[in-house]
Amino acid sequence: MNVDLLFKIAAVGILVAVLHQVLCRAGREEQAMMTTLAGLVIVLTLVIKEISSLFDTVRTLFGL
Amino acid sequence: MDEVIKIVGIGLISLILIIIIKQYRPEFAIYISIISGIIIFFYAIDKLTNIIDLLKQICNQSGVNNKYLGILIKMTGIAFLAEFAISICKDAGESSLANKIELGSKAIVISMSIPIIHNLLEIILNLMPT
Repeated sequence: MNVDLLFKIAAVGILVAVLHQVLCRAGREEQAMMTTLAGLVIVLTLVIKEISSLFDTVRTLFGL
Repeated sequence: MDEVIKIVGIGLISLILIIIIKQYRPEFAIYISIISGIIIFFYAIDKLTNIIDLLKQICNQSGVNNKYLGILIKMTGIAFLAEFAISICKDAGESSLANKIELGSKAIVISMSIPIIHNLLEIILNLMPT
């Protein structure tokens, strides 16, 4: 468990926010939506991997 | 001592990141809170394993039936997971979802405690002078 995961997700979040603003200003709303969705998917895969490792650890720890 | 520093550090860092990102992308704030919760939990794991081993040791020495201790430890695990989800749902403002999770986890815990209650009643009935 490392902390850089936290910074990776924060970085993706900031990047997506900036890209969204830039693309919206440039008039390409659909590309902006696509980048937001792409960022969402990337972060979601990371989060789900971590949540599954949490569940496995709790299962082995508490004997569920 | 360094465990506390690590945990408090991660908590504050993720708090700052959440506040920064909440203005632009509110959903990423939830991801960061989930991930920081998981990281802090992984720091607390080795302490938890020691506690559970100590409990098992005491239970074996005192001759109490090991099955009940297993059920108790399972209940704490379920309660922890449910509380983890409930607090995140409440953070996101979905208190109705949190109540649903609470209801479900309570039902599971109560259904797990049935054998213990059953044995307790049997012991009481045996003591009763019929």
